[in-house]
Amino acid sequence: MENKRKEFKNLEKWQDTLANCIRCGYCFEHCPMFKHTGWESDAPRGKIITAFGLLTGEVEPSESAADKMFSCFYCKRCEAACSSGVPLTEIFTDARKDLVEMGLKGPGTTSITELYCARCLLCVGACPHEARFYDGKGIATDPAKCQACGICLEVCPAGAAKIENDFGTGRDDLIERASIFLETHESAKAIIFACNWSYYPGLQASVLPESETKEKAYEILVNMCGGRLEAHLLMAPFLHNAWGVMAAVCPDDECEHNGNLRAKKIVENLHNTFKSIDIDPERIQLVQIPAGDKTLFQAEIDTFVDKLNKLGPIR
Amino acid sequence: MKTIDETRLRDIVGERNIKTDPSDLYVYGSDSSVHHAMPWAIVKPETTSQVQEIMRYANEEIIPVIARGGGSGMCGQAVPIQGGIILDMKGMNKILEINLEDVYCRVEPGVVDDDLNLALKQYGVFYPATPASSRIATIGGEIANNASGVRSVKYGATRDAVLGMKLVLPNGDLVTLGSHTRVEASGYQLHKLIVGSEGTLGIVVEATLSFVPIPEFRCMGVANFDALKDAGEAIGSIMASGAIPSMLELVDDVAIKAVNKTMDLGLKEVAAALIFEADGMVKEAVDYEIDKIKKICEKHNGTDIHASYDPKERAKIFMGRKKLFPALSKYDDNLASTSLADDMAVPYSKMAELAGKVHEIADENNIVMTAYGHCGSGCMHTKILMDTKRKDQWDSAKKAITQVYDYVRSVNGTTSAEHGIGISKAESFKIEKSDSLSLLAGIKKAFDPNNILNPGKLAQAPENWVTATNLRYSVNS
Repeated sequence: MENKRKEFKNLEKWQDTLANCIRCGYCFEHCPMFKHTGWESDAPRGKIITAFGLLTGEVEPSESAADKMFSCFYCKRCEAACSSGVPLTEIFTDARKDLVEMGLKGPGTTSITELYCARCLLCVGACPHEARFYDGKGIATDPAKCQACGICLEVCPAGAAKIENDFGTGRDDLIERASIFLETHESAKAIIFACNWSYYPGLQASVLPESETKEKAYEILVNMCGGRLEAHLLMAPFLHNAWGVMAAVCPDDECEHNGNLRAKKIVENLHNTFKSIDIDPERIQLVQIPAGDKTLFQAEIDTFVDKLNKLGPIR
Repeated sequence: MKTIDETRLRDIVGERNIKTDPSDLYVYGSDSSVHHAMPWAIVKPETTSQVQEIMRYANEEIIPVIARGGGSGMCGQAVPIQGGIILDMKGMNKILEINLEDVYCRVEPGVVDDDLNLALKQYGVFYPATPASSRIATIGGEIANNASGVRSVKYGATRDAVLGMKLVLPNGDLVTLGSHTRVEASGYQLHKLIVGSEGTLGIVVEATLSFVPIPEFRCMGVANFDALKDAGEAIGSIMASGAIPSMLELVDDVAIKAVNKTMDLGLKEVAAALIFEADGMVKEAVDYEIDKIKKICEKHNGTDIHASYDPKERAKIFMGRKKLFPALSKYDDNLASTSLADDMAVPYSKMAELAGKVHEIADENNIVMTAYGHCGSGCMHTKILMDTKRKDQWDSAKKAITQVYDYVRSVNGTTSAEHGIGISKAESFKIEKSDSLSLLAGIKKAFDPNNILNPGKLAQAPENWVTATNLRYSVNS
């Protein structure tokens, strides 16, 4: 392999580690980006191969290559699944630092700020990764630090913080997919919003025959973190005759973004709203699932659907 | 490199299902093997008619087409050694039918093995020809390589489970091979020929697969051995005894050390261990098999022999085996685990000798090799752990592999049991099949007269795999 190495002073230290990735691909099923696009170049293994190519000079540092390296939600499920012990997100971050030096910044999943930002600086204070800052003109994001957790989106009162490339985890996408499911399945009762960290049950990369899905009572939709479950999103399925909505988030001490605590608050508020309009608040339920516990998750879904069957549709 | 008519390909599969950027092409240039070569375009068809149209275009222009599943192949089958179009079959990922009455299912080639088994599980049945990579491997890729796995000792390999298929030929024609029946004697069994053909004869767009009931009882056990030879001889004795294990796996000391380093499974660090399982609908019948296997292990100096029906205990034992391949890269921080001579098969009576030979050859060539695998079906896996930056390590690896294969062929074994030939193993394959190579070439010509399907593989593969394509590693000169 010809060595055409460029200046990758941060990435360089990972050269041996990159060779240790045996490219088994066991990370595929854990990556929300791969499962959304289906392209291997969006999967964690694809990014490791890209990083290797950047380091050896076989991949030119281009906007396209950079876009891949800047696209990651840092859920780190790939790392947890990697028995070769490759610290994938650390490698991505170091590649990002070098690419930024070369003037390549993504956008990838880096959060951006629209022009109508009120410059209230709430997002700057809320960002747990110290990625957002005021640059003298407006709010900017350090693309090497942003982990696309979406907390800036949640706290922004003007709706000016955005993640453009959300790989299907954005509010509008989720609302559209919920409405399609509810309107095309007569048996549909519930929408389950699953934090990606909780690793939802069911098929990961394949599709069941229509005969198996036509009686389906619920649809699982993956958002990136409980912290991004806005009231608007949780209420939207009810406009399409959902009987109930479940939000699955991490246990109390296990969410790196404290998104679970915010989700709890939102659900509590919605319970009060439901009570005030005489709708059973149990139609919106929050469950906390430890990462990877698909069995518990399935049991919670089954219990919730049973409960909805007893409650019946909202009149 | 030929110029690809991107507009025509875009018209066929749509804008969202084609990639031509060099950074994407680079990713699709490799799989789980040591090889790397750049494709010219990647397309992800979603329908049979799209596959047909792509093949018509490629056949007109004489452009290589390489079908790709999960990219988990270990010998370079999906590496585009002569460039061309990668067909990413993961876009065809539908389970089409689960027919319990006739005991078959129909699937598209991009369905992931674990997903299929999850869909089948609710009916109390499973698809047993599952490789260790089942969480990523697609049914199409498994068909291309005649994949098998830990339970193949009892339930057979992919070829045994494939009842029929729909195949797109290089000229775009669609043919239906096989049937939906368990047996067939209607002429040549072409669907069986396609299994293991590594994408060189046609593109599978639908497969009809049999499945079996999930047994009521499963009992799994472990036996430790202070000598690798004893473990190897126990395998031969178990299989010759008439016992029917549903799993009989060997792991050597290198493999045990690697698993212990990666996972907290507390395996005893001995020279070798056998993992065995028996299953069935009647507990007494399972007990009978397990007792028989345990007694044979004892006779061959096995120690700490124990077995359990407990699902948690079984899961713990099985997890160590299932994650062994990735775990091997943790054996030593300076050594990477490479797939080279990695899945040969020998007759049962030679299993002990082969395991010993692997270690002997490794010592002789100053590299680390491990011996493990589905020894109940005659398959021995090896991995070479080496410093991939050092050219002399690659030279030693090459020499060691040649010695291993020379031994395998000398005892009437075979070059590949379940991973296929691809590029890495072509040299030994061509020696092993030397008197039938012209027949193989004739078959290839009959299916693919313009040689556009995965060219440069199997019998067409270059002699020297080390220099034939770029290695995916940085090797210092």
